[in-house]
Amino acid sequence: MARKREIRGYLLLMPAAILICILILIPTVETIYCSFFDYRTQTAALGMKFVGLNNYAKVFGDEFFWDTMWWTIIFTVVTVSLELVIGMLLAILMSKKIPGQGVIRAVVLVPWAMPAIVAGIIWSQIFAYNGFLNNLLSAFPFVTENYAWLGNEGSAKISVMIADIWKNTPYMSLLLLSGLLTINKEYYEAATIDGAGRWRKFWSITVPLIRPTMMVTILFRIISAMRVYDLIVAMTNGGPGGSTTTVSMYAINTYFTYGNIGYGSAMSVVLLLISVVISMFFVDSLKSRVR
Amino acid sequence: MKERITPVKAILIALLVLYLFAMVFPLLYLVSASFMMEADLSAIPAKLFPSSLQFGNYLTAFTRQPIVKYVMNSFITSFISIFICLTTGCLASYSLVRTRIKGKTLFLLFVLAISLLPTITIINPIYRMYSEAKLLNTRIGLSIISAVLDLPMTIWFLTAAFKAIPVSFEESAEIEGAGLFQILLKVYVPLLKGSIFSIGIIDFISAWNKYLLSQVLNPLEKARTVVVGLTLYQLEISIPFEIVSAAAVITIVPLFVIVLLFQKNILGGLLDGGIKE
Repeated sequence: MARKREIRGYLLLMPAAILICILILIPTVETIYCSFFDYRTQTAALGMKFVGLNNYAKVFGDEFFWDTMWWTIIFTVVTVSLELVIGMLLAILMSKKIPGQGVIRAVVLVPWAMPAIVAGIIWSQIFAYNGFLNNLLSAFPFVTENYAWLGNEGSAKISVMIADIWKNTPYMSLLLLSGLLTINKEYYEAATIDGAGRWRKFWSITVPLIRPTMMVTILFRIISAMRVYDLIVAMTNGGPGGSTTTVSMYAINTYFTYGNIGYGSAMSVVLLLISVVISMFFVDSLKSRVR
Repeated sequence: MKERITPVKAILIALLVLYLFAMVFPLLYLVSASFMMEADLSAIPAKLFPSSLQFGNYLTAFTRQPIVKYVMNSFITSFISIFICLTTGCLASYSLVRTRIKGKTLFLLFVLAISLLPTITIINPIYRMYSEAKLLNTRIGLSIISAVLDLPMTIWFLTAAFKAIPVSFEESAEIEGAGLFQILLKVYVPLLKGSIFSIGIIDFISAWNKYLLSQVLNPLEKARTVVVGLTLYQLEISIPFEIVSAAAVITIVPLFVIVLLFQKNILGGLLDGGIKE
């Protein structure tokens, strides 16, 4: 009977496991495999030629790849840290019984539910040369000229990051809120009796208790920021001069525009390895989530 | 006891109101822009409201691209996707919570690892696999991969939900001679329908919004989803933003109707199941 139950357990797991195997595991292995070959769509008929680590050597020597990698990292660090700070403030506010709590929670769902492509389209219009922001600023007498927010490297990067923070802070704050709601109120009451101030309570009670939730949330946001694609495609399409092109965008172009599959695979593997290394720092928090 | 409003509190409230306004402003501007004339968009000072309602933008949006078809494709793809996701997810979660199989923790960690994988490491092999299996430009193909990518979140959420149901419910059904699928359908599904519905809605939104995979796997009109179709309104020389806005509103109306109707479920899903220790 127990044996039968065990077999049944494996059988029930099968559909999910098979889907994951075919569509995630095998493709990942295949990409790693392809990264060791000279393999191009145009010459696919001639087959793949094993080139060892050549693609990786090329990746490491490719200045544009490192430009995209640095930009992806800066984008990730800036957006995720600001999202964390704003998200935390918002989560604390949302956890309090204040009037209009329902409205606040409903409003933060707007950016969360919006497709990144649509968010990108709206923000690109706001930052456009003849767009909303410039038209708004023109009303001031000291503004004499329109500024190309998305046409200059620095401001294009900042604009893209603002749009991302707008889009993803709600998700961050809702997950942080889920952590806050599990904290027993009595801790705060006891601390108040002991004369602890707000700041002290935040660092000594809130932060340690939601640390596991916070770490996992941060990890998820970091990894999804590292693969950012839709939002930037819609806003700048990687411009001006490739300055907002992310690793994902470069790899996609290498695969599907240039047809250089071996090289694109090597780039993807480098991004995968970086993601793995980052995840390592969070392993303990992840384990606590499994238990 | 009435709380007094101190200056600090007043500033905090003002900041909060400002922030909430910033959250909804882009959406409101989009809707407003979809009724504007081209001249309204570049008017100085910037216009918040259209000078006259231009319903023609919507007419153009409907005729320039077969957007109704794209919306239907998105609906069908998303529905197949949540169906696959919920059925395989429920079976797997039941197995992980209620049966004694080995390697549960390993499987859960593995599932978690999948959700951390960059899309670019799988997209090209999937493209080639689909090309051989004739799944490119099909709604079923896109919905399968979309379902698999949402499986981790679904399994995590549902295992937490299954854990909350006392085993005794199942045992008493078993004594009465109910089989496994009867137990799942007659005991668990009714008890978990709220949770299943919540994660289903979240999966739906996630499937509807998937852009990169849809763009790569379904480039042809017949199975194109609306988030990809939307990008085709931009012309080579100029971006007719009033038309694009109308198309964008059409793209997000189904989403926001769902969000409005089911916000309690969505919040419940994100807050209860999101992340738990």
